[in-house]
Amino acid sequence: MTTVQKWFENKKWTPQDFQKKCWKAYSEGKSGMLHAPTGSGKTFALWGGILNEARLRKKHPAGIQAIWITPLRALAVEIQQATQSITDDLNTDLKISLRTGDTSQSERAKQKRKPSFGLVTTPESLHVLISAKDHRKSFNHLNVIVVDEWHELLGTKRGVQIELAIAYLRALLPNLKVWGISATLGNKNLSREILLGSIKNYIIINAKIKKKIKVKSILPKNMESFPWRGHLGIHLLPQVLRLIRKNKTTLIFTNTRAQCEIWFYQILDSDPKLAGEIAMHHGSIDKKIRLWVEDALRNEKLKVVVCTSSLDLGVDFSPVENCIQIGSPKGVGRFIQRAGRSGHNPKAGSTIHFLPTHAIELIESVALQRGIEHQKIEDRIPFLNSYDVLLQFLMTLAVGSGFYPQKLFPIIQNTFCFQTLNKERWKWIINFLVKGSQSLEHYDEYKKVTILENGLLKVLNKGIVMRHRLSMGTIISDSSLKIRYQKGGYLGSIEEWFVTKLKKGDVFTFSGRNLELIRLHNMEVIVRKSKSKKTRIPSWIGGRMSFSANLSELLKKVLYEKDSYNTPEFKALAPVFFQQQLESIIPKSNQFLIERFQTKEGFHTVFYPFEGYAIHEAMASLMAYRISLLLPITFSMSFNDYGFELLSDKPFLKEAFLDNNLLTKDHLNEDLEKSINISEMARRRFRDIAVISGLVFQGFPNKPIKTKHLQSGSQLFYDVFKDYEPKNLLYQQALEETFDHGMEHGRMNRVFEKISIQKIEWKQCSQPTPFSFPLITDRIRSKLSSESVEDRIKKMYLQLEKSGK
Amino acid sequence: MKQIKIQQQNFVLHSSGAIYWIEKATLMLADPHLGKIAHFRKNGIAVPRKAEGVFYNKVARIVDQFEIKRFLFLGDLFHSYQNNEWYMFRSWVKNQKAKIILVEGNHDVIPAYKFEKIGITVVKELIEEYFCFSHFPSKKEGYFTFCGHVHPGIKLKGSGLQKLKMPCFFNSTYQMILPAFGAFTGLHILIPKKEDKIYVTTGKEVIEIGEN
Repeated sequence: MTTVQKWFENKKWTPQDFQKKCWKAYSEGKSGMLHAPTGSGKTFALWGGILNEARLRKKHPAGIQAIWITPLRALAVEIQQATQSITDDLNTDLKISLRTGDTSQSERAKQKRKPSFGLVTTPESLHVLISAKDHRKSFNHLNVIVVDEWHELLGTKRGVQIELAIAYLRALLPNLKVWGISATLGNKNLSREILLGSIKNYIIINAKIKKKIKVKSILPKNMESFPWRGHLGIHLLPQVLRLIRKNKTTLIFTNTRAQCEIWFYQILDSDPKLAGEIAMHHGSIDKKIRLWVEDALRNEKLKVVVCTSSLDLGVDFSPVENCIQIGSPKGVGRFIQRAGRSGHNPKAGSTIHFLPTHAIELIESVALQRGIEHQKIEDRIPFLNSYDVLLQFLMTLAVGSGFYPQKLFPIIQNTFCFQTLNKERWKWIINFLVKGSQSLEHYDEYKKVTILENGLLKVLNKGIVMRHRLSMGTIISDSSLKIRYQKGGYLGSIEEWFVTKLKKGDVFTFSGRNLELIRLHNMEVIVRKSKSKKTRIPSWIGGRMSFSANLSELLKKVLYEKDSYNTPEFKALAPVFFQQQLESIIPKSNQFLIERFQTKEGFHTVFYPFEGYAIHEAMASLMAYRISLLLPITFSMSFNDYGFELLSDKPFLKEAFLDNNLLTKDHLNEDLEKSINISEMARRRFRDIAVISGLVFQGFPNKPIKTKHLQSGSQLFYDVFKDYEPKNLLYQQALEETFDHGMEHGRMNRVFEKISIQKIEWKQCSQPTPFSFPLITDRIRSKLSSESVEDRIKKMYLQLEKSGK
Repeated sequence: MKQIKIQQQNFVLHSSGAIYWIEKATLMLADPHLGKIAHFRKNGIAVPRKAEGVFYNKVARIVDQFEIKRFLFLGDLFHSYQNNEWYMFRSWVKNQKAKIILVEGNHDVIPAYKFEKIGITVVKELIEEYFCFSHFPSKKEGYFTFCGHVHPGIKLKGSGLQKLKMPCFFNSTYQMILPAFGAFTGLHILIPKKEDKIYVTTGKEVIEIGEN
């Protein structure tokens, strides 16, 4: 019997099958992939194997032997505690330490002097370790890397970071084992291939734990007054308060931090007795406060926590009895994960309440229920050719020990992300780092990476080293400022653009408190508490999530099937459906609906493909582009998961649209490419690319350094590349990402094939329909124009400063 | 191009962002920020070098259109000191017959004697007729100010939820702020008052904007 098995026995626990399988596979020296839901005991499955092996060894060398990577800092703390506690129970003196962005300088130095057996860290911090000059020495004894919650990382640029780090470390240490832990995914095989790469000796283990998940929609009493649009859902507050009172603890999931703040405020405002028992948890709140909330939740001190995805993962909160999801969770997988937060006993079922923020979301609720029923978990789509992340990684090596391009090239090519990287592009990338461009016509003072005599590429300039170290990582946020009380004490951070809109004395809500702005000082926002009720709520610019292909299929099915009309959700929707059908229709599977109406804003044309945000974004540009070839016209476009809207100051004719067959799939890729070139989509993509690749240096609030002369917006970079260096790979990457990411390959083609056998229903309406409402009221828009700038300007006007200011 | 009258004098607002003062045959330019691209490159940020040549091409086109007796730079001529850019500028200066005056800006770190050595007069501020020429915006009693520094831009709205940000000449009752002449300089969006006049420049045209 192994050490860990004995430990289980002493605790009177029975190991589950997947845990035993993991221990065995690990003892046989295998790498692998474990698919198990959060809270199922997956940490013991892997850590057990690692400890069993460690116990066989009498003496341990000084050096890290196991690295455990988690996507969230909060999670890292949890894992470190859990693994240290079992390690202590087994009477070993092995230490597991924690290394994240929050780790202090002195602790880092200590870890370097005296490395511990295990290290729990994040993808960014792992890269920081690789950037050390003597990193080879620190990794000398490394046996295994475990990547926890791999499904969260896959499909993001942080996933690419992991791919690069693992490929690099495996080249140093050919016997390194790699394990992934992931929730269930649609594309399991691909997810394994990406993480384990060319490793042959692997195993896939599936935990067979099926949790019963019940979804209940929170329905309004009176549907007539239920809004057609909105994203807050506050009108259902009484029902939420009732649920809070009924249960011991409730987790309320919101999709954005602003939503989180508002719900917290509203709940407390209408039930002040909850003070002391209610807390908030989101990514901008100070670490100390977040940790306190997590502890209090575990110790059953809280009755309700309003949170964002910051509490999605890992951390075990057994007392949670009840979960409420505000607004669409955008995917079956995420919804299951959130539902799994309640009823944490593996065998108990979970209940999650879905709170629709507007009428149409009730259809989504039914689709989600079907998805859970049939376990339709979505795929995560990996990034390909992320040159920005590659450039960052090469800099990471260059500021540390340096690298030899010829040696590194095959290692990079070995990753999934860069499998198609060819010699020319590799040369381009190296040139970009060394010369700053491809031509060497002029003598130029460009300085970044230097080629040493022995061919080693290294950064010599100290300023460049420092700026790179400060900006490593791929999560992008607008530059943020810390919020501090005048008397001391940090509350968290807030994005700069929001603060710049505030004047001294203005009151805003943060972390559930009303705060008055006193002044800005050294990149800190100094505040004091305020009793004022007139307050502003900051919004954070976060990525918008799109429906997965899965969910959009489910949604269409639900809409087309007669059965759905027997669900309580559809029954509640009856008045909305009635209104929709007055002038328009609810499309059937053989119909493609287009609505046209006029408001004082202009001419609205609304299309309903029901294919998800990502597809609609591209489709809107494509349609706008094709129409703009018929006449000079400017469009403002909005999109959601159901459809998209083209708004213009002059109409285009139904006949012209239909006769020219603008919904054809002919020349689809050509037209898409052209539309992406002239629309603003790629420009937005470029924002992240510019930061990740190091073009835009954001600086750091707590590390004020002189960078003012080096700061420039990504927009300016986009424009100069477009005008002067269109072959620049970073510019090209923006176009490619717009074209590819968020859509499975070939999905756009399939969408247009479907449309080609549908009947186009163009409905002329006298006013906006319920289906169109969320679209036409959306203020986040993009534009596409075939008019000249001069012609457009001549039709426009100024917005003057309001008098009295 | 657009001709306007201020204090009985005639000025042409040029689509490049420069202003030509007809009576004095003077061309005003604000914020060229020469060497900005080189400065970025020197610090490891790879802005395409080609963008650097824009200044000289733009000036050459204006010189073809007007008779210029005097250049007046309203500050931030150089973003920072870079050898190559300085040599390029010096050879441009050599080829000019017109007199060149530089009103110092906050970015101008190159010492005045270096400019003076190549025949450029450097001043903190210039007063002529009823006009004041400075880098920073200022209100001077009895004078009308021409200045730069701000890189003014404006937000335009139109029907169909259209929006546009454009560089502009920002003309208030007592001063005119010129748009930045340099490439890769960015915009600072201003919100005008009722009495302000706004002339948007597109690079091709100068368009006066009305209010709604």
